Amino acid sequence: VRIFIVGAGLVGARIVGALHADHELTVVDLEPARLRALARRYDVATAQASAASGRQLLNAGIAGAELVIACTSRDDANLVAGSFARSVAREAKTIVRTSSAEYVEIWREGRLDVDCVVSDQMETARAVSEAVGMPAARHTDTFADGRVQVLELDVPAAAGAALVNTKLRAARLPGDSRIAGLIRDERAMPLRGDTEIAAGDRLVVVASPHAAVDWCRLVAPEKLAVRDVVVFGARELGAAIARSLCEQQLVVRVVEPDEARAALLAERLPAARVFHTDGLDPEFLKREGIARVQAAIFAMRDDARNLFAATLAHLEGVAYRIALAHTPISDRIYEDAGIDVTIDPLLVTSEEILRFAHDPRTRQMAMFEHDRFMVLDVTTRADSEYVGVPLRELPRRGAYIGAIVRGETAIFPHADDMLQSGDRVIVFTEAARAAEVERAL
Amino acid sequence: VSAAARRRRLGVDVVGSLNLVGALIKYLGPAALVPAAFAVAHSEPAWPFLAAGAIVSVFGLLLERFTSGGEGVGVREGYLVISLAWLLIAAYGGLPYVLAGDPQLGRPVDALFEGMSGFTTTGASVATAVDALPVSIRVWRQETIWLGGIGVVTIALAVLPRLRIGGRSLLESEAAGPGVEGGLSSGIKETVRRFGVLYVGLSVAAFLALALPHWLGARHAMNSFQAFGHAMSTMGTGGFSTEGASIGAFGGLTQWTVIAIMAVAGSNFALLYRGLVLRRPREAARDEELRAYLAVLLLASAAVAGIVTWSGGPQHGWEAIRGAAFEVTSVVTTTGYFTVDYDQWPTAALMALALLFFVGSCAGSTGGSIKIARHLLLARLLGREVVRTVHPELVRPVRLNGVPIDQAALLAVISFVLIYVAVFVAGTAVIALESDVHGPAFGPLGFVYASASTLANAGVGLGAAGTTGSFAVFGDISTLTMTALMWLGRLEILPVVVLLRASYWRV
Repeated sequence: VRIFIVGAGLVGARIVGALHADHELTVVDLEPARLRALARRYDVATAQASAASGRQLLNAGIAGAELVIACTSRDDANLVAGSFARSVAREAKTIVRTSSAEYVEIWREGRLDVDCVVSDQMETARAVSEAVGMPAARHTDTFADGRVQVLELDVPAAAGAALVNTKLRAARLPGDSRIAGLIRDERAMPLRGDTEIAAGDRLVVVASPHAAVDWCRLVAPEKLAVRDVVVFGARELGAAIARSLCEQQLVVRVVEPDEARAALLAERLPAARVFHTDGLDPEFLKREGIARVQAAIFAMRDDARNLFAATLAHLEGVAYRIALAHTPISDRIYEDAGIDVTIDPLLVTSEEILRFAHDPRTRQMAMFEHDRFMVLDVTTRADSEYVGVPLRELPRRGAYIGAIVRGETAIFPHADDMLQSGDRVIVFTEAARAAEVERAL
Repeated sequence: VSAAARRRRLGVDVVGSLNLVGALIKYLGPAALVPAAFAVAHSEPAWPFLAAGAIVSVFGLLLERFTSGGEGVGVREGYLVISLAWLLIAAYGGLPYVLAGDPQLGRPVDALFEGMSGFTTTGASVATAVDALPVSIRVWRQETIWLGGIGVVTIALAVLPRLRIGGRSLLESEAAGPGVEGGLSSGIKETVRRFGVLYVGLSVAAFLALALPHWLGARHAMNSFQAFGHAMSTMGTGGFSTEGASIGAFGGLTQWTVIAIMAVAGSNFALLYRGLVLRRPREAARDEELRAYLAVLLLASAAVAGIVTWSGGPQHGWEAIRGAAFEVTSVVTTTGYFTVDYDQWPTAALMALALLFFVGSCAGSTGGSIKIARHLLLARLLGREVVRTVHPELVRPVRLNGVPIDQAALLAVISFVLIYVAVFVAGTAVIALESDVHGPAFGPLGFVYASASTLANAGVGLGAAGTTGSFAVFGDISTLTMTALMWLGRLEILPVVVLLRASYWRV
């Protein structure tokens, strides 16, 4: 597929990284340095052009594209490029990235002529909501319209004999779920009946929503049922997160150091308790009961401040911390500092864009472990090599099947179950082999 | 040239203001034709009314003719225009009493009081024996209240918000008429056009509701003339009556009907417009001020009825409930009628009524006083400050109907309440001082009633000024003070106070 990507920033680069192997990519950006960096790593065509200049986009070859992704950091440029692509490349699908949720609403009302609008704020808020809903998981994703939940879990030493040091075939695992991936020392381990799970392993579990809750209870019984949350930061992302948590009927406190920002959010979100302070005062955290909340979300723009505040919150007794990462390195730093969940707004945005950009049979995808592993939702072809093979004979090509969506029901298969053609499978694989697995299915 | 030079020296366009005042009051002349017609029908002299009407119209026309620029006056002139206009209109209201040489109302000080009382929809009267007044004068008194009512709605919805008093946010920006750019005069015209129809329609409905029982043969009901007079004064929430015994002259059914009409007249007209004319009643019913207003009426009625009953007062059972409901509604809506001799009530009940003078009706109604919306905002502001002593970092806007109210508007509410109380205290002091020297013996509550009820445009007196007496018992200084209180209260004080500042007049 000929894909035209407008914007070579963090989101653009991620998309290029995920798509370059199987598609013919053209990337445009205003900054030559970014383009050079991409061209050095991947086999992609690059062109220096402004997203807002139709002439330059035409010269770069936008008219011949089958898919146009406008993913610069500027809403206006993306919208201009998206609607321009619509008029010069009539057959092409167009995906536009925006920061606010406003254009997603306008697009849903049918008043914006592009194929898809993805909002940073909406995707981030959704990712935070999912993390709050599954506090024991490092990462969660919903597949197949909510029928299937994918969880990334750390196995603590305290998890107990139901899980730890027990052979998989003997482990008492929640029903309606399957372990699709076992990562030890950053490597995927083979999953067999005699595999033992050790403390410190990281699991990728595919489960029904109900079983997902059971898994959380199994792994970290003390972290369930979040009712009180605090959000640090009331800028766009923090406000979007607070709004989405309020909609889930949680008790939401918001801490914002800027007076005008705090007042604005207090006006627009009466359900939240908004505090005007930097939140770095232990006395304040105690007085307002923030030390006792079940989840704290750090959504300030400065990752160093997020880390500082998160550490203080931990000292004051907050058990479950979710932090936004705005630079690629923050992910590792947060993890080292013991922050439970890291959400990279640009990563969740690129995942959502990629979901639309992928093979049309791929409904959805999620990335784990610094993009090294993936979970895909793929519809199988009749002539796939997987059809008619009992699951015990897997893995093939390093792919583990976590769930099968057949018609309206999600099946969490046993070793004897077989795939039928037309099944949707939720499959775990290494990112490097994702395209191969897609083809094989 | 000299006029232009004078304009340059002053920061206020006085000539333009006078022009607008003239343009407004010239329309009031024909209003005197109504009592004149009644005078002819009852063989009473009609000339005082015709002369007064002619004088005001000619004066207004001359004022307009010899000045210019009325269309262009802005916010700054607005304070001068409404202050001056209300003073002149009050004088016009008293003119027929002077010209007719009425024995009860004929003295200029009394006539001005009665005129101000009418056009500010207060209803305090210096007439001790209303039944002895000529029919035409009784009609004129009722009519001044009705005309005052439409004026009150106009300044509340079109003028005061432009002068940044009361605040647009206290009303409803949508219903409050065109934007500030429209200028003062076009805003007034638009509001009169929009709410005038509603006001007339409600008045007709009130007349029918009051007169129908009599037409159907009910006893102790209002005849057509009485219904006409009381429909006018009830809609304007002024307490003038054609009867000496006020609404006490009529039966229970009529009394309950009057309670209902008073409650409607005390509601926000912008809201009534939305509910009745735009047919969005559910939206109007959600209004927080309206709900608080109805709650105040119910709770205060129950409390006063309880006090009267338990203290073994002159009324019992249903009589006490009806009497209390009537008097509470009369005070809260600042109407000023009475059905029973509340002078006989226990002190606790009288104290409750005295407090209710400071409550007032809804913003944008014909009623006066501090108004429910301001109390709501004040209560919420205080509530927030209490919460903030425990949670100093908490940010929480004060809202009315879900809309955040900005700090400037809240400050304006606080200032208004403080100034209101200060004016009340000063007024009480003057009345008490003069009455001690000159007047009849009053209990302390009598002075409070005189001052609070004129400032609130309620017109309820106590003791010698109460149900069996009149405000004629006060000395001239007190009478003039109360005239000023009515004037101040009607204009929400600040437009007049602004004129006293030198900075207002400077460029």
